[in-house]
Amino acid sequence: MHYLLLLISGIFVHNFILSRFLGICPFLGVSKQISTSVGMGAAVTFVMAMASAITYVVQYSILVPLHLEYLQTITFILVIATLVQLVEMVIKKMSPTLYDALGVFLPLITTNCAVLGVALLNVQYGYNFLESVVFGIAGALGFMLAIVLFAGIREQLELSPIPKALDGFPIALITAGLMSIAFLGFSGML
Amino acid sequence: MKKSKMQILKNGILNENPTFRLLLGMCPTLAVTTAAMNGLGMGLSTTVVLIGSNVVISALRKVIPDAIRIPAFIVIIASFVTIVQMILEAYVPSLYAALGMYIPLIVVNCIILGRAEAFAYTNTPGDSFFDGLGMGLGFTLALTLLASIREIIGAGTFFGISLFGSGYEPALLVIMPAGGFVVFGLLLGLINMLTNKYEAKAKAEGDKLAEEVK
Amino acid sequence: MADKEKNTIDWGYVFKVGLILFVITLICTLLLAITNSATAPIIAKQLEETSKQAQKEVLPEATDFKAMDTVDEIAQNVGESIIANIYVGTKNGETIGYAVETKPSGYGGEIDMLTGISTDGKITGVKILSQSETAGLGAKSTEPAFYEQYTGLDALKEVTVIKSGSVNGNQIMAITGATITSNAVTTGVNAAEKAVQYITTEGTQVMETTGATGSAQ
Repeated sequence: MHYLLLLISGIFVHNFILSRFLGICPFLGVSKQISTSVGMGAAVTFVMAMASAITYVVQYSILVPLHLEYLQTITFILVIATLVQLVEMVIKKMSPTLYDALGVFLPLITTNCAVLGVALLNVQYGYNFLESVVFGIAGALGFMLAIVLFAGIREQLELSPIPKALDGFPIALITAGLMSIAFLGFSGML
Repeated sequence: MKKSKMQILKNGILNENPTFRLLLGMCPTLAVTTAAMNGLGMGLSTTVVLIGSNVVISALRKVIPDAIRIPAFIVIIASFVTIVQMILEAYVPSLYAALGMYIPLIVVNCIILGRAEAFAYTNTPGDSFFDGLGMGLGFTLALTLLASIREIIGAGTFFGISLFGSGYEPALLVIMPAGGFVVFGLLLGLINMLTNKYEAKAKAEGDKLAEEVK
Repeated sequence: MADKEKNTIDWGYVFKVGLILFVITLICTLLLAITNSATAPIIAKQLEETSKQAQKEVLPEATDFKAMDTVDEIAQNVGESIIANIYVGTKNGETIGYAVETKPSGYGGEIDMLTGISTDGKITGVKILSQSETAGLGAKSTEPAFYEQYTGLDALKEVTVIKSGSVNGNQIMAITGATITSNAVTTGVNAAEKAVQYITTEGTQVMETTGATGSAQ
């Protein structure tokens, strides 16, 4: 039950994009089509779950015992960068079709602040191993939900007449704002 | 064509403003701009990191092989971020507390890695310094502007000073995440409108001038 | 192409590149270690000063504070795991009250707060040390208009939250639109009350309950 609550809270109530502002770059950059946004979401979900697990081990079996907490940022980002490379290589070898679908998004994930963000939040909230992984998955699913919904709206926007000054990013941001208001409705759930 | 230092500086602040023109570093732009002071603090912290990483990467550009440049950049950037984080915690604890998690997240601010890749790795340290300064100031300016608008409307204060007296009922939504998206979208629209007007006017004054504006 | 690459790994190049990256990382880590050793004492001092100042704020009468080392035991005995620290406030060597640090869960995460309770059973002050509540809503808990409501309340009775009407007795008015935050802070205060009652009566007296804290919205 506890883990279910954590999952719901991560996906809806404290949605990474719409209420924590993490992962805005890919949210705006890779959301022109539903199909690509699903690919991005899937790749991010995988990396975030893995990153949550590995950074947990790094934090509590290396950094804390050695009193090297001040190296947290640098080690976490290196872990994530390595992980992304590794995932890219493995997928390339194992499943070329999946690689064709996800390949272009993988390098982008390193600079997706949602991934580093989830690792830092896990430490800040003092989550245990399982909680960290669940929180990572929840955050990633929330990311995916937001980006896919957003892509759906943007596909419609393409066909609508929009004032020239607002065309492109401005209207996308305003749309995201309205989505954020809609997600505020979930805040009463927990 | 070689650009002068002043041109590089101006380029970062205006022509290629990272926030309004290149749309980089959106997460901190939206997340910390709930109060003008936070926007300014975030902007200046990023500027320090940007100048530092630009100069160091540029100085080491002949030493770092192409194959490992991305991990090398990340290590250098992460080090500067951690140093800034420690200094803020030691000397400006209130700002440190307000920015919180978004300080370590400067590492993944696309502006910094972007400038390392696009400018510092191919230019001299001197030029890279001015590029970092220009881009940093452009970012700071954008953040402070956005934060000021949100603070004034959403909290009725400016840099913590109450503007409208106790009768003012602040529009809370503007401070909340949703407001961040909407205010930034409208601001971007306004800037696009002004730029379009400016460019149209320049075009009318002759093709040669229009070329320069671009 | 891929096959050719596989057969001709240039180990000399791999080693050289690896070494360069290693040296860069080493230098960076060294620089960080130096900065850390320079700033760590200042940060520690800063934290301690802030903490001392906060203790003084919630228990103004006291001149000296000392952390209790039995805090875990007390937390366990009163069944409140959110109790993090208890400081005994003294004046001229005499105990006049306690400053209890609690960490209840608010809307945006943990709220770190301090509650001052005098030995004669009055709440002498509440201060929010850190929080990550929504700006403009839950973050209003850091404003005196909210936390000063607790000052002077009876520390022998549970404090309750009301959302409308007028406060009477041991009640506080919730922040508009931030019931969860108001409840969380009140939970922290009530846990502090329990701890202090346990200390002063050594667990013989059970706290008088006046009903559950207002339900979460």
